Amino acid sequence: MSATGPSTPKDGRNPSLGASRGRSLAERVMRALLRLFPFDFRADHGRELEQTLRAQYRDAAEHGGVRAVLSLWMEVLGDFVTTAPREHLAVLKQDLGYAFRALRRAPVFAASAVLTLALGMSAATGMVAVVDAVMFRPLTVERPDEIVSISNRNGAMWLSWRDLQDYRAATNVLTDAVGLAPRSASLIVDGAAERIAIGLVTDNYFSMLGVSAAAGRVIQPEKSRAWIDDPVLVLSYAYWQSRFGGDAAVIGRTVRVSGAPFTIIGVASARFRGTEPLLRVSGYVPAGAFEQFNEGRAPGSSFEDRTWRMFATLARLKPGFTIAQARAELDVRAARLAREFPSTHKDVSLRVVPETHTRPTPELGPFLRLAATALAGLAAIVLLITSANLANLLMARAASRGREVALRAALGARRGRIVRQFVTESVVIAVLGGLLAIPIVMFAMSRLRAFIAGVTAAFTFDPDFSVDGRVIASALAIAIGAGVVAGLAPALWVLRSDAAASLRSAGRGVTERFSGRLRSALVVAQVALSLTLLVSGGLFVRSLDRARNIELGFDPDGLVMASASPGLLSYDRAKRVSFYEAVLDRVAALPGVEAAAWIQFPPLGVVGDSAEVSPDPRPSEPDWRPPIAAELVVTPDYFTAARTRQIEGRPFDDRDRAGAPLVAIINETLARRFWPNQSPVGRRLVADTATLEIIGVVQNGKYQNVGEEPRGAVFRPLAQIAPEMATLAVRTSRALADVGPDLRDAFRRVDPDVAVFDVRPMMAHLDNGSAFFPFRLAAFMTSLFGAMGVLLAAIGLYGMVAFQVGRRTQEIGVRMALGAGARDIYRDVLSQGARFAAIGIGVGVLLSGGLAQLLQGLLLGISPFDPLTYLLVAAFLAITCLVASFVPARRAVGVDPLTALRTD
Amino acid sequence: MPADSRTQSFLPLTPPTLHTLVALADGDKHGYAIIKEIARRTDGRVRLGAGTLYAIIRRAEADGLIVETDERPDIALDDERRRYYRLTPLGRKVAAAEIERLESIVEMAREKKLVPRPKSV
Repeated sequence: MSATGPSTPKDGRNPSLGASRGRSLAERVMRALLRLFPFDFRADHGRELEQTLRAQYRDAAEHGGVRAVLSLWMEVLGDFVTTAPREHLAVLKQDLGYAFRALRRAPVFAASAVLTLALGMSAATGMVAVVDAVMFRPLTVERPDEIVSISNRNGAMWLSWRDLQDYRAATNVLTDAVGLAPRSASLIVDGAAERIAIGLVTDNYFSMLGVSAAAGRVIQPEKSRAWIDDPVLVLSYAYWQSRFGGDAAVIGRTVRVSGAPFTIIGVASARFRGTEPLLRVSGYVPAGAFEQFNEGRAPGSSFEDRTWRMFATLARLKPGFTIAQARAELDVRAARLAREFPSTHKDVSLRVVPETHTRPTPELGPFLRLAATALAGLAAIVLLITSANLANLLMARAASRGREVALRAALGARRGRIVRQFVTESVVIAVLGGLLAIPIVMFAMSRLRAFIAGVTAAFTFDPDFSVDGRVIASALAIAIGAGVVAGLAPALWVLRSDAAASLRSAGRGVTERFSGRLRSALVVAQVALSLTLLVSGGLFVRSLDRARNIELGFDPDGLVMASASPGLLSYDRAKRVSFYEAVLDRVAALPGVEAAAWIQFPPLGVVGDSAEVSPDPRPSEPDWRPPIAAELVVTPDYFTAARTRQIEGRPFDDRDRAGAPLVAIINETLARRFWPNQSPVGRRLVADTATLEIIGVVQNGKYQNVGEEPRGAVFRPLAQIAPEMATLAVRTSRALADVGPDLRDAFRRVDPDVAVFDVRPMMAHLDNGSAFFPFRLAAFMTSLFGAMGVLLAAIGLYGMVAFQVGRRTQEIGVRMALGAGARDIYRDVLSQGARFAAIGIGVGVLLSGGLAQLLQGLLLGISPFDPLTYLLVAAFLAITCLVASFVPARRAVGVDPLTALRTD
Repeated sequence: MPADSRTQSFLPLTPPTLHTLVALADGDKHGYAIIKEIARRTDGRVRLGAGTLYAIIRRAEADGLIVETDERPDIALDDERRRYYRLTPLGRKVAAAEIERLESIVEMAREKKLVPRPKSV
């Protein structure tokens, strides 16, 4: 823009003279600025605004020269920048108000639309949260994107301390490297022992990760010492809160960790959730200080042993270096180690990958990422189906609002404005659905977490499936996106042609037919999928029921379990046995206890023992192979406590101690297999390397999972094996809440250093172990998704039928005017819904049949073609579909023939 | 003039809105004329931006305080057709009510000797 010189002539009146080039630039800028305003505003007042601005510009150029023109532009800019947003806001408010009023007028539609979105979004968001925890959620440390994992590809994947130090020395590519070895430990505070997972860490663990202390201090490396061996303990923040209530007074207190005294020196920061994404690590000790780490050797000797591969290793890349460079450098060092220590490091091949690829371990990482990717794909599909469903619903509504829209268009509302209002409405629905989804997801995730934590295993799994701000924000963003996309469909449909005309012609255009078919296919697919999921769910539920009724070989009702691990305290055999027997004496004497016994690994748990068994002498066939039998280590009263029937011979007793001849009791299956038609009592059995004399036979039972074929089992006396950990089985009529404290007390009186854990009824053990957990999980997941599928399918069907009813309003009116009764109309509309339902169910049955092979191996005692299950599910779906069609049918019947006839 | 609840519902007016209504009180004007008059009457202290003005006009039209009248060429400026606006009776009432409201505040301030009474001319 250029004003003419200081001697401004009056050329404002003759714009064509000289200043035309400057003016057109000014005009372009002005027009661009005008675009800041909303569409409607521009359409109404744009021309005037231009006129006014032009007049102002002319006056300024005429009377004030360059300075006046410049100050005018500044004024205009400032004015537009403050006014335009306000106008946009005003339009938004109007649209929102309109949207909410429209939704209030149609509560059924609004509720089903919001529900659809909420269901779809909670499923998708839940999956996203799981995927996030596995693949994306960064470690809660400083600059987590710099952290890489170093592990061995061949053999043991962790690194020894010495190897770690060698790799750590690659300071040209790495800033530093740390190691962590998770261990079970018993922690005793104020006499109460608890089993926790602790991390044995290298000295630089906290300093490299940049983790500070929330209270006290954390373990810090010291230049003067090769490694720290002070018995100090750093608590995790979560454990500090849950066990100690966040009391700052615990700092400086001495506690016993697996029997050795440790001092609590501090608490890690609240933000830090550890470097193990799936474990709940409650405390950290220096690796050098943990007695157990040395396993009775000279202190620190484990550090020098390069074959003691204990540490999960994380390293920080030096800024500016890539992982490929680090890998190359580390490979060189690994090759050097292979040359120096050929006997132990010959096959060393390093895996250097980003930390996010190694959850939960470097070996399982890739698999889990694959599963997570599949889950993300599934989430995307769910979202797509949800959006399509929402679009369907909106279309149904649009069909019935065609007249309203035509009216408004006739009254002067611009197309763009109408589209925006439709989109605003669907975005409102989407956001409401998204907001509703958030508490659903949080609840579901916490249940899932609790579910997983209940799994009986050596460690407590604690995946961080929390729904944090990032997940919520992305969920809402997706909701808005879905809302916009879903809202455009009906808006454009309504406006594409004269809506009224399209209604009259019942939309028989080609594109109409195509999109109509697409939507029908969607509804049918949803019904089919729901059937498949529900049938699977039903089959799993019935399997679970069967499983609970299977003869287990013992009576689980009335059994209470309590586990202890004296091996954690490095007790020797004799001390362990005396511990077990002392506890047994105390517990057997408790009131209400019928019988009590120890068993190393209760049957049907996640962990169990087995052995290769053969009769002594072995059969002479050349290709005879010893079968694998379950191996259970028990105290004499076990069969009484478990109510397992002894068929022959005698139970274990005081004769069967350490040093005495080795004995065993076998089950019927094994007896019949090795000594058919004879008594096995007195004969000899070889289990792995031990030769045992058989003293008795007990009834068969289930040992690994409830669906197994009858297998052999050999029982051995605990006194002769002295396992490191075992579970006490107590036959009592008292409830857990009642007898639990007494049990813990008995343990404590014998040895307070030993942690007692998993005090629970046998049924809980079965529910969370291999017995019932897989069925429970499968039944839960399929039923959940099946239920959601049914709801979505019902809503989709409702939308479908409502849409068609809306399009046929006139026709229905005519028929009713000509004498058709309500029943005829009902039959007509309901038969539409029934047709969808029938096709969907048919397809679903075929789909389920196809999956039957897959399901076969997972079910128990029930056929994948079980007719009762199919019948029930099909009936349920049919009824649901009929109900979904009922609402639009009722509306169809309510059509006033006159109004319908009097169309635009 | 008795103040009814409908008129009251528009109060208080923003200063630019009041200026605009007052500017129209003595006859129809187009947008630029409103801006110029307000600038002139306030000695350049109140400079209404074009965007603000038309936002006000839009709101006021929607609220029924002003209406658009027939366009007629402004002979002073190149025969361009401009839109003229007129104050509606409701608009008059609302402007007057706002002035009354301001007057009562001014009177209160005077009683408290916050501002001096004008010397009677």
